[in-house]
Amino acid sequence: MEQFLFLSLSGVIDGLVYAAFALALVLIWRSTRIVNFAQGSMAAATTFIAVALIDNGLSYWLALVVALLSGLVLGAVIERVVVRPVEGGPELNAVIVTLGLFIAIQGAVALIFGVDQRAFVPPVSNRFFQVGDGFTLGLSNNGLYTLAAVLITMVLLIVLFRYTRVGLAMRASAFGQEVARLLGVRVGRMLTLGWALAAVVGSLAGILIAGDVAFISPNFMDTLIVFGFVAAVLGGLDSPIGAVVGGLLLGLALNYVRGYLDDSLLGMAALVILVVVLLVRPGGLFSTTPARRA
Amino acid sequence: MSRHHETVISPVAGIHRRRARRIPQSPGQSCPGNTQGEPLTRNSRRLVSFLAAATIASTLAACGGDDDGGGGGGGGGGGTAEDNEATDPGMTEDTVLIGAHYPLTGPAAPGYSEIPTGVQAYFDYVNANGGVYDRQIEWRYLDDGYNPTNTGQVVNQLVLEDEIFAMMGGLGTATHNAALDLLNGEGVPDFFVASGSSLWDNPEENPYTFGWQTDYESEGKIIGQYIAENLPDAKVGLFLQDDDFGEDGERGVRQYLDDDQIVEVQTYTSGNTDLGAQISALQASGADFVVGFNTPIYTALARITAQQLGYDPEWFVSNVGSDPQLVGSLLERFSQGAISGSAPLEGTYTTDYLPTVDEVDNPWVQLFQQVWEESGQEGELTNFRIYGMSQAYTMVQALQAAGRNPTRDDLVEALEEAGGDFQGPALAPFRYSADRHAGISGMAVSRINADGSGEALTPVLVTDVGDAEIEEFDGEASTPPENGIPDEEAIG
Repeated sequence: MEQFLFLSLSGVIDGLVYAAFALALVLIWRSTRIVNFAQGSMAAATTFIAVALIDNGLSYWLALVVALLSGLVLGAVIERVVVRPVEGGPELNAVIVTLGLFIAIQGAVALIFGVDQRAFVPPVSNRFFQVGDGFTLGLSNNGLYTLAAVLITMVLLIVLFRYTRVGLAMRASAFGQEVARLLGVRVGRMLTLGWALAAVVGSLAGILIAGDVAFISPNFMDTLIVFGFVAAVLGGLDSPIGAVVGGLLLGLALNYVRGYLDDSLLGMAALVILVVVLLVRPGGLFSTTPARRA
Repeated sequence: MSRHHETVISPVAGIHRRRARRIPQSPGQSCPGNTQGEPLTRNSRRLVSFLAAATIASTLAACGGDDDGGGGGGGGGGGTAEDNEATDPGMTEDTVLIGAHYPLTGPAAPGYSEIPTGVQAYFDYVNANGGVYDRQIEWRYLDDGYNPTNTGQVVNQLVLEDEIFAMMGGLGTATHNAALDLLNGEGVPDFFVASGSSLWDNPEENPYTFGWQTDYESEGKIIGQYIAENLPDAKVGLFLQDDDFGEDGERGVRQYLDDDQIVEVQTYTSGNTDLGAQISALQASGADFVVGFNTPIYTALARITAQQLGYDPEWFVSNVGSDPQLVGSLLERFSQGAISGSAPLEGTYTTDYLPTVDEVDNPWVQLFQQVWEESGQEGELTNFRIYGMSQAYTMVQALQAAGRNPTRDDLVEALEEAGGDFQGPALAPFRYSADRHAGISGMAVSRINADGSGEALTPVLVTDVGDAEIEEFDGEASTPPENGIPDEEAIG
């Protein structure tokens, strides 16, 4: 029972991080219909910026802000410079471009920051809470911090998309570019903004993961990319809520696999879950009707 | 071996070459200066006669390309630079190319990526002093990221494109395993695999492959016996890498600890950094003494996770994962909590089969310190660099024993014949012979002090895989030669 509770709670926290990462994928998919495979190395890049700042004596929180801002800029620049030319073309082109970016950014990070493993200490204690006589909860201050950070991000995104004009314009651009353009929406800017926002969320996920894995190298996000992608597809790629639920489900499932089976099965377990869900609901758990696409 | 044998080749022989080693050529019979000759194996020659009808004339060059070969062949060590000849790929008149694969990036890189710099330093030192038989040793190593798929690729490149004469110190169990068939199939000496797996000691299947460090099973036995004799009340939890590394270690430990004393076994897969489930299971089992067969970063991760869980057992970390310098630096930033700053591994039990960098009075460490400083590379002397230099030292011994113009097979033969008597920095003797390709035969148990130095708890213990007893090593500790370069006689 204690182990089950431990695995469940730590699974929820892991799942929230997958969810944040999936959210970044979903944002880009919604705005540009591109699966951004470069998300992982973009997040690694901004995390390394944060680490470099922290190593030079800056506080975690300041480094976090700088990392998120550099994520914003990085996302916007990549959309405007690299992705724009292939947008609207064959989908495969865009996918190949993001794959190329993935490798290029990882290489750049390795060149700039080196390939050594770097320690990343979370901002608050990650010591698990003890209840009563040696009963360990799978929850720590750092876990609570992760929980809060992801939930706040979620709420902000919901508010943005539901209740602001910019959000509405972004949704319109994603829904039907030509229609939106006819209605006076500056579609290009909205797409850039979509990528920028997604990169911010991805950066946050990167930093949260770094606090969890303790040591990071330029390719530390590699496994997370797979998990985040699975979480996003589980939720239907189109639905932010779906991404969060998908992330949570995956976090729980993977932690049970880790605890009760074997951690060498993690990658396979993620893909088995993906296949099963797609067999039952081909569009993902939270898919809407395909006719929605304009 | 007569010429006509060498000009006949069966289609089957190419496949068979993989398993059976070519017959070593002794000087009288061999063809001096033979570069392309493809001597057949005993087995494949048998096949040739069985399948006589199927054999076809080969276009492979027979030996005898050099009319005035100058004698010497593989064996002899006499002569001067004038007598040097190119033999197999990678061995030219004035250079010999040695290659390897290491994790220079990724989770296994910390520490291990320093090994090739140590090798480089020692080869530079030997080269500066004239090289081996007037040949400069060239050293080329590639990054495989500790990923077996990459290892296959980089070894392909080293063997087929760069044409290394021999491989030395390819690192990792699963990784190097992926390169075994290629190396043995191509007949490339595969020396001193940097892993204590028992896979390397299999002359029948892999005649070109040799281990070097004490194997994990022997290490497990020594650890198991130490716990059984000195800590009989410890409730032991095993923390193992999920491959042959962990399995061999566990097999050894279990020879001396009964199942009651081992209360829990947990494994991790290299690359998965979340150890919460494993360490909490060890904690829940009541284990108060954790024995780890893991890489250095997992020693650090296990400590961090244990701290998160409020779990404080005693630790015994096998040699591979216990470097106090490295793990200390990894844990430095996490030191505000229970993991104390200066000596995160204080009190940890471990094993040694080489002198360590803290033994400043050890003549080998002094030699390596001097070699390292002369090499002018960045960074300080570390235990990983001592490891690299020690392997390079053994490689130089093997090259010397192989004579002035050795083929790849001559090098293998030299190690089999003379390697068992090589003296070097290792605490216990090598086990090399025609039947055994296992390296160092033992180690000592020690405990890490607050300043990172080790305190010996046992004398050097020697043993072997399987049922072999554990005994005290009764030989003398060796000292380095005056000029720091071995002086092995050529065999034959």
